[in-house]
Amino acid sequence: MNTAALGAPSRLRGVVAGFDGLLGRAVSMRALALLRVLAGPAVLLHLQPFLSDGWEGRTYRDAFYEPYAAWYPELPGAVYVGLLSLAAAAAVAMSLGLLTRLATATTFVIVAYNLFLSTTHFHNNRAYLVIVLGLLAVAPCGRELSLDVWIRRRRGRPALDPSAPAWPLWLLRFECAAVYGASGLSKLVDPDWFGGTVTWHRVVQARDQLDGWILPDWAVSVLTDRSFHTGAAKIIVLTEVFIAVGLWWRGTRYAAVWVAVAFHIAIEVSASVQVFSYLAVAVLVIWAVPSTRDRVLRIDPTVRRQRRLGALVRRLDWLARFRVEPATPGSRLEAVDRDGTTIGGAAALALTLSRLPLTAWFALPALLLPAVRRAGR
Amino acid sequence: MGRRVVVVAVVALQLGFAAQGYWSDHKQFAFQMFPESSTWRADVVRVTADGRRIPIEHPWSGYRWDELVRDRGLRYPSIRHHADAGLANQLAFLQAALDWVAHNTPRDAETRYLEATVTSWHNADPARVGVILSDVREGAR
Repeated sequence: MNTAALGAPSRLRGVVAGFDGLLGRAVSMRALALLRVLAGPAVLLHLQPFLSDGWEGRTYRDAFYEPYAAWYPELPGAVYVGLLSLAAAAAVAMSLGLLTRLATATTFVIVAYNLFLSTTHFHNNRAYLVIVLGLLAVAPCGRELSLDVWIRRRRGRPALDPSAPAWPLWLLRFECAAVYGASGLSKLVDPDWFGGTVTWHRVVQARDQLDGWILPDWAVSVLTDRSFHTGAAKIIVLTEVFIAVGLWWRGTRYAAVWVAVAFHIAIEVSASVQVFSYLAVAVLVIWAVPSTRDRVLRIDPTVRRQRRLGALVRRLDWLARFRVEPATPGSRLEAVDRDGTTIGGAAALALTLSRLPLTAWFALPALLLPAVRRAGR
Repeated sequence: MGRRVVVVAVVALQLGFAAQGYWSDHKQFAFQMFPESSTWRADVVRVTADGRRIPIEHPWSGYRWDELVRDRGLRYPSIRHHADAGLANQLAFLQAALDWVAHNTPRDAETRYLEATVTSWHNADPARVGVILSDVREGAR
């Protein structure tokens, strides 16, 4: 046996050990806690048509449906509607963080049960919702942003460690990228899609609706022009592929997140996709580096504007990026990044706002300004 | 070890679903979104035991098609619709809907089967016409 053959198993063991290390490394569950809060409204929106039918005495069984398997258990109408109502209540509890683990698992089980009742229930946005709920159910994401924490504190019990093994986060990141990747790839390999036929044909079919929009004539003319779609379709496909790939690297992650938000806004405006846009944008929070309070914002408490910024950051820093600390009076606003880089003034403001979920999309382009880039060096 | 197995299994399953989407009519978890601009319409009739062909737009035996089939764009098949999840998916649902109606209309004693004459347009291609039949209902007079 030669040395190369001996080295191969040990290399493999090294790769497996590295993989295990990555999955088992304790990381902050803050992003998943925030996603849990945001997922509740998505569940309620998703359940709303089922529940409104149910409360009027109609269920899926009163009209065409197609079970996946004959053995799949089906419930009497009243029990089914009761179960959906329980899911709605559990979704509220999940968002509030009340009995978080139980509430999230209950929500997941019922939403998944309902999805698999019939092929007619299946839509991509619902599949994505089930995946998200499943991974939230296995992650201990109730140790922050929850009533459970508040109740625990009130009872004088010590806080639980908000970090946990990273594998649910990695899986959710994979699923998130897979949604964009699978969609982009299916269009990339379809000559009708990549060549622009599909988008052009859809727009032409919807010409009547287009005329109803408040678009100038030239815009309508461009949108219905076949050659415009030859280029536009490629941009759409490559956008999806860029999001799928770009999210994985730090250098492109912010750009990918920014493009993804813009992409979902465009989809929401132009198509009916149920909870997909909201859910997909909410899931983007999982791409935040899973560590907390590792940036510092120094404010001069004697300056009203800085004081207000401090208060704003404390309210909107849902991913717990910053420690807000007082600076000596007369100091300018300062932000200390994770790597120790200190920037001040407008650049610090831009960096801070670009790291808050609600303002990030608006502030991220400011980081490209030459003055801000210079300040960051 | 346990978490490694779970992660690898989920990744493999997801990749499997994504691949399956390229040949399956129902593309569960394949995330092929806005796949086609295809459209379709169908003339659906009930073919009775004595050979009459009655459009499903006419209520029968206390049934109405638009109450029996409310989902997946099948409620008004005679109107040209976009095939939201692709033509193959849409026609698979139409087949399943015809079968479901054939099996779930017990008061109807005269219909032998349902028949849909489908005109479909795959993206911007020319129209194609095909026929889809439901299961045959035994016992129709």
